This record gives sequence, structure tokens and C-alpha cells, in this order.
Amino acid sequence: MEDIFQWCREGNALQVRVWLDDTEHDMNQGDDHDFSPLHWACKEGHQKIVEMLIRRGARINVTNMGDDTPLHLAAAHGHRPIVQLLLQNRVDVNFTNAHGNSPLHYACFWGYSAIAEDLVLAGALVSLANRDGDTPLDKTRGQLIQRLHELAVQQGQEMKKIQFKDQSWLGTRTRSRDATLSRHKGININELALHTRIAVTPSGETWRGRWQKNDIVAKILAVRECSPRVQRDFNEEFPKLRIFSHPNILPVVGCCISPPSLVVICQYMSWGSLYSLLHGGAGGRVVVDAAAAVRLAHDVARGMAYLHSLQKDKDHQLPQYHLNSRHIMIDEDLTARINMADSKFSFQEKGRMYAPAWMAPEALQRPPARRNWEACHMWSFAVLLWELATREVPTKEASTVTCINIQGRLLRNGSNDFDEIWYVGIFGDDQTTSLVLSLGKPLIIKLQPEQSSVAQVPFADLSPMECGMKIALEGLRISIPPGVSPHISKLIKICMNEDIGKRPSFNMILPILEKMKK
Amino acid sequence: MSSPRPKSPRTPVLPKKEDKGESFWDKIGTIGRKKGIKEVQEVQAEGKYAIDSPGSPNAPEIPPEEYSLLDNEERAIIEPRSLEDPRVKELIQVLIEWINDELAMQRIIVKDISEDLYDGQVLQKLLEKLAEKKLDVPEVTQSEEGQRQKLSVVLKEVNKALYGSPKPVQKWSVDSVHSKNIVSILHLLVALARQFRAPVRLPENVRVNVVVVKKDAPNQLSHRTYIEDITTTYDDLGMKGERDAFDALFDHAPDKLQVVKKSLVTFVNKHLNKVNLEVMDLDTQFHDGVHLCLLMGLLEGFFVPLYDFHLTPQDFDQKVHNVAFAFELMQDVGLAKPKARPEDIVNLDLKSTLRVLYNLFTKYKNMA
Repeated sequence: MEDIFQWCREGNALQVRVWLDDTEHDMNQGDDHDFSPLHWACKEGHQKIVEMLIRRGARINVTNMGDDTPLHLAAAHGHRPIVQLLLQNRVDVNFTNAHGNSPLHYACFWGYSAIAEDLVLAGALVSLANRDGDTPLDKTRGQLIQRLHELAVQQGQEMKKIQFKDQSWLGTRTRSRDATLSRHKGININELALHTRIAVTPSGETWRGRWQKNDIVAKILAVRECSPRVQRDFNEEFPKLRIFSHPNILPVVGCCISPPSLVVICQYMSWGSLYSLLHGGAGGRVVVDAAAAVRLAHDVARGMAYLHSLQKDKDHQLPQYHLNSRHIMIDEDLTARINMADSKFSFQEKGRMYAPAWMAPEALQRPPARRNWEACHMWSFAVLLWELATREVPTKEASTVTCINIQGRLLRNGSNDFDEIWYVGIFGDDQTTSLVLSLGKPLIIKLQPEQSSVAQVPFADLSPMECGMKIALEGLRISIPPGVSPHISKLIKICMNEDIGKRPSFNMILPILEKMKK
Repeated sequence: MSSPRPKSPRTPVLPKKEDKGESFWDKIGTIGRKKGIKEVQEVQAEGKYAIDSPGSPNAPEIPPEEYSLLDNEERAIIEPRSLEDPRVKELIQVLIEWINDELAMQRIIVKDISEDLYDGQVLQKLLEKLAEKKLDVPEVTQSEEGQRQKLSVVLKEVNKALYGSPKPVQKWSVDSVHSKNIVSILHLLVALARQFRAPVRLPENVRVNVVVVKKDAPNQLSHRTYIEDITTTYDDLGMKGERDAFDALFDHAPDKLQVVKKSLVTFVNKHLNKVNLEVMDLDTQFHDGVHLCLLMGLLEGFFVPLYDFHLTPQDFDQKVHNVAFAFELMQDVGLAKPKARPEDIVNLDLKSTLRVLYNLFTKYKNMA
């Protein structure tokens, strides 16, 4: 069969590149056994394709049905350059598959000594036992045992055997995506099993449902009259929202056109939107630490940079997307993704803006054709940064007080350039419950009820009409509260430059955010 | 959102310059070229005249002394001075613009109210458009007899539409219209405009002086002058059709009207105050649509982008755009389509304005 998996197996780099250039193609999709294109390229040792996939944002710790990551396959098949490439991209070296084997188990078993050494140097544990209680050292013979033992000791590893613990229930796995998601764009409305209504907004009703064994969210658009003209515009515009080619963009999977209903379908994200994460969850008391905030902001900036790189292509003019925290979804691995399903179709909400608080003053006054979209989005991004920053725990609090009653959950991030562990905890008793998100290190915090952060929704006390008029005509701006880190507050000011021409582009702020992460 | 009807082009005003002779640029051209330009201009002007001038079969104007009156026959003529009256001019202009708007799709442009209407052709089209039915008359007639024939059919239909029966009426007749009697034609158009709720504001109380000439005996003419009302005071320009509480209110309880107005003012100000606006007078402060747009945003919890309407409308069209846009917003959020037309609101029709505001009041009165 001529498909992407076949091309990755064969090493047909040209075909793979052409395939990847189409935004409707999802590089993280899996085949019948959930092997992603990256799995195949790693298994067959096609280094060029592996590079290409990684550069384009393929998930590096993605798993197949046996919970093998691409690193398992590269190690088991002796492709040392690929193993090194994956290691450079911060792959999880101690990830265990369904048998409890780490990549090092396979390298040892097949006697790839150079690869085994690379893995150990990158932190692979030599005493990690699998389901049968065997460590990688048990799987190998001869001199290699001695060599690896020495290396591990040099690395400071404890040589005591680590018992196998089944962690699959923790939800740390990121399976490759079901390929059916990206395969069909026209969907029969009768195939949607909608079961729960999540929300009713002026733009339509949002339902949860199942489609082709996938959890989906369906938005039934509110249109006054579903005229043939509206249907035609819808049919022309929605395929542009099927952007599967970037990890920080949540594509529209497909649409139903069955008058009088127009339905937009996307994947279900259990964390909901960034807005509900920040302002809605745990009784409105969520705190994020600085690293987590920067990480989320970086995700958004990457997604926006990609969107704008598409916009430069004249054939790919997207429907209007208004950046705000309601239009960002949070994936199961806490990756922030720009929700294309929240774009506004040309016939939707004409003359009505429901979230002017995030909009640039000029976007409130100038018609879309006369705006610099990226500069407008940059302003919205600054408001988003402010939202994240006002959610932050004051740093001194975090270091001095201890936590009470932690019910934490660990999440491993599966995207390619991070391998941080998210610490997600629910703290406190019933009155002071807070959801705490931390990246990299466990966050220890005790929130006093009066300290628990006030809902920092921009201009929450004003109605949209009031705040829009004030922003557009009276110079109303967000003010940065004391306690926000000077880096973030400086970045907010840069992105919110009143002079449209002086606002940076998303590509320009990416390096800044990357630096802030370190 | 533009106004629902495509606008007809305004009667082009010929640049005065041409009459005054050569412009500066004519002078610096070479002589040959200058001649060329002149020729082209002349041909253009001639062609333009040929197109624009009414194709009247009895074009040469008959001086009044040529009128032959039978004994005891009367003839009413508008006093020429009346035509100079600015109010009459305004009325004629409003009517012409209305006809041109209605007939824009048919590419008919009326320039002169009597010259272009007397033959029944335009009247036929106008009535077909307004009454939405086809008249059984020949498309084009050249002969005078044919024109009269057609005009009589058209006028019968007009009378039927206005009064329910094709019986002739006093104010206009085939003879008076065909003889380009401007008083008759004005009466006819005003009646049509009122009957079909033309989206225009007719100037009120327009009067003309009419001279009636009577031939008492051979070689003896007598004349008298009287004043004829063309339009009166209208208070019902907006609605026609089913009556509602507001009609009753206006007719029977003008004192209560003040109470209604006051509560509506309180209601709108409660919301408009949030954006530092205050309305004192419902009659005049809603006609430009700005307050309506802002009110919709305040009531429904959205911001109305400033590029979608004119915050400081300059002319009639911009105001109509604003009101029409506010109506769209109302329908988008699930309110019924207002019965009034945007033009009624812009034309300061109090009843229509009150109806629209009252609809909002009913839905949102309990909102904080």
C-alpha cells in the first residue's frame, strides 16, 4: 500500500517530505498497531526521515500498542546514529514497554555495545527490572556487563535492583493517534454519538461524543439561517482548519454539513481549555509555577508562529482566529494547543465580539482586511502571558511553606523538546483546594485561603461592550501586579507595544521564551 | 452590511465648467489637439443629450396660448412661482429619488417628474414593483393613443390599489397626467408613496398655488387662484397594516405616551450609562442607529466592533446602515425581525422607534 508508513519503511524521503508539507496530514498518527511514522523510520534506520519528523514536531515518546517508543525500536535494531539523535532530543531513556523492558534491555540483549554505552551515558538505568525481574545486565553477556557496570558506577547509579512497577495506569503513555482522525473530513452526522452537552455559547452548542471509537467534541454552530450560501462558505473554509502538522495546533477533525446543522468536530481534551484550567478548575484556584507558565506560553507561541507561517502563503488564508485562553486547549500531556475549531467562520458572529479583553485596540476598530494579524495576535498573547503570570505562585511562598494533604499525579510530557515531568497536585482541604501545576520539580506550597489567587480574568468586572469601548477609545490597559517576575513583565510590555509596527513576531519571541525556560 | 436595496446613481450633475468654455488645459494643448478635444466633447454632449432627453413624441412645447379650451372648460395650471418654492422642490426631489431607488434594478432613471412620467411607462414599472404584480399592458408604446390606453390601465390599477376600486378619482386622470399636469402627478406619487410605505420622509404641509383658467364665453377667459395641499401632516409614516398597542396609545391616550417614553428612557439609560452615554429624547436620539448598536452589545454581552457601524454617521445612508445593522444584531440574538424598516427609524418615526425599543424592553427589562 502506498502510504506514509510504507514510505517511512522504505526510506522514501522525498515522498515523506511531500506528505508532511500537507497540513492535513497528521505525522503523529499510527497504523494498525499504532506504529507512528517515527517508529517505522527508527526501526528501519532511515536517519534523514527521523530528522525530518523530529524537526516537524513528531512526538518523540509516542508509543505503539506494545508501548514501545521509537527509541526501543532504534536500540533493538542497532541504529546508533538514530539513537544518538533521539537522545539529543531528550527522549525518555528509561521508558518501559508492555514487557517492562527499557531500550537498554534491547540494546543489551542484541549485543549492541556502543548503543548500550550511549544509553547508559544518557542516564539509562542498568538495574531496572522488567516484568520477569531481569535487568539489562541480566540480558547481556561477556565483557559488556563489566563495561556497563563501570559506566553506571561512574554515573553514580545505585546498583541495587529496581523492582518492576506497573505504571501504565498512571496515564504516562502517549499513544500515537488514531489515524481515522485525520482521514475523513466529511462526517455523517448520524455517526456521531453525542452524549453530554458541555456548554452553550453564543457561537453554538458544544457536545461530547464518540466517533469511530474516538472521544470527540462536536460544536453545533449557531447560525440564524443555514442558507446554501452559508453552507458553501462553510464547506470552503473548514478544510483550512484541518491542520494536523503541528504539535501545538489542535486541528478540526472534520465537519458535518446537514442543514440546518453545521457541526465542527475535534478531539476531546480532558483538561479543557486553558481558560478553564486557569480560572475554572478546582474552584477557581489554580496555581502554576513559573516554569509551567513559561512552558504553556512557549507552546502557544510555537503554535502561533506556525499558523502565521501558513498565513504567509496566499492560498492558505485561515478563517479568523482570535487568540485568547478560551481558544487554547490543553492536551492530556499538558501541551497547550491552539484550537482551530474556535476559529470564526466568515458567516459567524458578524458584528459581535465576545472577548474584547484579549483583543488589540486596533482590532476593535479596524476591519479584518486592514489589520496586521500577527501584531494583533501578539497583543492577545501578551494578555495571555499576563493571565498565566497572575496565576503564578509568589516564589518566596513556594520555598518556605510545606504542603498539606497532597494527592499528586505525575504526568510525563511527551513532546519532543522537553522531557520534564509535570507535577499536578490537588492540595489542601475542602476549603482551600487548589490545583497546582509544576514543571520539573515538585512544587511545595501551602495556600492560605486569603492568599489563594483571585480570579485574574482580564477586566472581569466589565461587560464586553464596556471593556471594548474603554480599550478602543479610552486607553484601558491591563496593569501588571507586583510580584510578577521581571522577565515576564518585560516580555508582556514588549508584546503589547502600542506601536503596532514595533511589536515582535512570534518567531522573535520564541528564543526569549526558550531562554526563560532554562 | 449594506442597505438592502442597491442605490440608483444620482442624477449626474453636469460640470459647470463645460459651459464656461475652455479650461486651463485646453489652452496649453496644441491647436490641432484642442480642436480634436472639442469635437469629441461636442459629440459626447450630443450623444448624452440624445440618451438623456425624454423621448417625447410631442416634444415641442405648446405655449399656453395654444391651448384650445372649449366653452366652460376649466384647466388648472400650477403657478410657476410655486415650483420655485424650496419645499416643493424638496418634495419633488424626494419623490424622484424614491422612484429611482425602487426602479434601480430595472435601470430606469427619472430626472424630471412630469416629462418622464406622463406616458405611463415609468408609472407602470413603479406600480408593478410596488404592488408586486405584472400589469397587462404593452411593453412599449410610441403613439399617443397607445400611451393613453396604457395610462388608463395603469391608473385603474393605481386606483384599485389605493381605494379598492378602479373608479376614476378627482385628483388625477388620464388627461391630467398625460398633459403633464404636475399637480396631478404629485398627488398620484404622494398617494402611492404613502400607500406603499415608501422609505422616505415626505416634507409635510407642502402647498402649491394653482391657477384655474376657465373659458366663460368665446374669447373670454377668467381665472382664479387657489391653494392646493399636496402633503399634510403625517404621524403614521412607519406602520401600516395590523394595529397594535402603540396605535391605540397614540390615538387614545397621548398622556400615557409620556409615561411609556419615560420608562423606556430609564431603561435605555440604565444600560447606556455604562458606556457614559445618556439619552434625553427618544424622538431624536435613536434615529442614527448608534445608540441601538451600542445597546445591543450592552444587553447581549458582546462588543460591537467599531468598524461595523458608523460611530458618527454623516448622512442618511450611514444612518440607515447603522439601524439596519442593529436590526441584524437583534435577529442574530433571537429577537423577532422588527416590523419597522430602518428608514422609518432614520426618518424619525416615533412610533417605529418606540416599537423597537419596547421589544428590547420586554426581553431585557429584568437585566441589571
